[in-house]
Amino acid sequence: MRTISIIITYILLIAWTIFVLSPIYWTVTTSFKGEADVYLGPKFFPWIDFKPTLWAWRKMLTIERDMILRPLINSVIIATISSLFAMVFGSMAAYGLTRFQYKFAFWRNQDILVWIVSQRMMPPIVTVLALFIMLKVVNLIDTRPGMILTYTAFNLPLAVWMMRNFLIHLPRSTEEAAMVDGASSMQTLFQIVIPMILPGLAATYLICFIFAWNEFLFALFLTFNKSQTIPLLIAAQHFQRGPQWWDISALAVIAITPVVIIALFLQRYLVKGLIPLGR
Amino acid sequence: MKNLLAAFTGKKVGRVFLAPTVVILLLLTIFPFLFSISLTFGRVSLTGGLGIHFAGIRNWIRLFQDDRFGNAMRNTLFMAIVTVTVQYLLGLGLAMLLNNEKIKGRGIFRVLFLLPMMLSPIAVGYMWRMMFGTLNGPINGILIRLGFAPVEWITNTRIAIYSVILTDIWQWTPFMFLILFAGLQTIPKGLIEAAQADGASSWQQFRHVIFPLLAPATVAAVLLRLLEAFKIIDIIYILTGGGPGMKTESMTLFGYSKGLGTFDLAYGSTIAFSLFITVMVVSIILLLGLREVQEIRLE
Repeated sequence: MRTISIIITYILLIAWTIFVLSPIYWTVTTSFKGEADVYLGPKFFPWIDFKPTLWAWRKMLTIERDMILRPLINSVIIATISSLFAMVFGSMAAYGLTRFQYKFAFWRNQDILVWIVSQRMMPPIVTVLALFIMLKVVNLIDTRPGMILTYTAFNLPLAVWMMRNFLIHLPRSTEEAAMVDGASSMQTLFQIVIPMILPGLAATYLICFIFAWNEFLFALFLTFNKSQTIPLLIAAQHFQRGPQWWDISALAVIAITPVVIIALFLQRYLVKGLIPLGR
Repeated sequence: MKNLLAAFTGKKVGRVFLAPTVVILLLLTIFPFLFSISLTFGRVSLTGGLGIHFAGIRNWIRLFQDDRFGNAMRNTLFMAIVTVTVQYLLGLGLAMLLNNEKIKGRGIFRVLFLLPMMLSPIAVGYMWRMMFGTLNGPINGILIRLGFAPVEWITNTRIAIYSVILTDIWQWTPFMFLILFAGLQTIPKGLIEAAQADGASSWQQFRHVIFPLLAPATVAAVLLRLLEAFKIIDIIYILTGGGPGMKTESMTLFGYSKGLGTFDLAYGSTIAFSLFITVMVVSIILLLGLREVQEIRLE
């Protein structure tokens, strides 16, 4: 009876794994297919029912290179810098909220925290139309600084929430001991607190990076051309070239590769950072 | 000790830590939020410089007379409720299955199970568009080989919305799984062993021990996922474009097509705002309902 239930558990877990992996498998294999292999019925296994070709990939690195390079650079710059801002400002705010007693009129720390975090719950479509006008007025529309600012604001509530969950579990006694020993508050911050919250900072940075890398709606409204990001480049494909699935698959693989690497090799940090969301 | 900390830093210094976040959010979320409220009562012209004129409640009247609004609202609510329910059940099931120490390779399963939620929804939209291909997609390929008729996954007016739902389930069940799995791991083993010793069946253990202890994680997971589900656009944008007809158009997609597609920023803001009000109402009802449930339990 016990053995049977274990076997059933394995079967269900493996079934879900197959469900999870099949679209990814299909996309990766399609990027190695030629036109005929895509249009003459579904072909499932390389070397068995179709001969893999580097055609799409070679095209990506030659003819299509300039088309891809710019959005790729935009995505890298916008995601890395905005996540850095979100992480730094977010942990500053979280540090403030866990170490000082604020009082603005009748607002205390808890009210400020709720106010910050609730910003995340607002549907982006509500602010994006107004942001479009605002950025247009200050000439930041379709620019990298404009997108960096937008994504910093977009990720800040999450960064504050995550860092607060790390800082609240940090024993205050260590900090206080350092201060008693005569360390200044800045010394305490940089020599005691920051080294202890490095895993938290890493998790926050990675989560913000993933959100910024994948973000679509803001990019859709606020960029048209020179600061378009990778999700926008891919989204434009089926209007521009119709169903050329081998090219689209190659682009999709490019878009998911950094995130898959993070997910596979750095997931320990991510999970540590995300789990406080559940509390 | 608190005084000591304050003495070293001073009261004003504390505000420096909070300032950047508050300034950025005021500037890039609160201001646009207020701005877009005012837009819902205005008319925006972008030709020859920016002009915003007062238009009273014209946009709101137009919204309530617009059949497309009712359609998009129905689609959004339907998709949100179905996806979140199914994601919760699947996420809970997977978390329960994996929360068994006799299972080998739990680490690998967890890494793979969490993968979809980290991928770009745009890429996910394309992945599933290929999966759902009528002639050359693998799902229909397998169906045909098994002797079934091919299904028009994204072009049939009845089926398309379920294809969007399936894609969303694929991408976001991991989120439910993550939070519920973490919640399960905080339940002390002794409690379950005690229930077993008292002769409780697996169902009784779940119903009377695990499920109540999982309640905080459940509330957080369902609420967070529901708030996100109301915002859906990216998957639909790629998978069906809101079609066939407007059978899969969501509120955000509707707001986009009016706001930027036809450059009617005021009407787009009105659509967006009606979504915001819906989200607020649903969250408040849920939170009040939860409080009631908890009070009943306490009594």
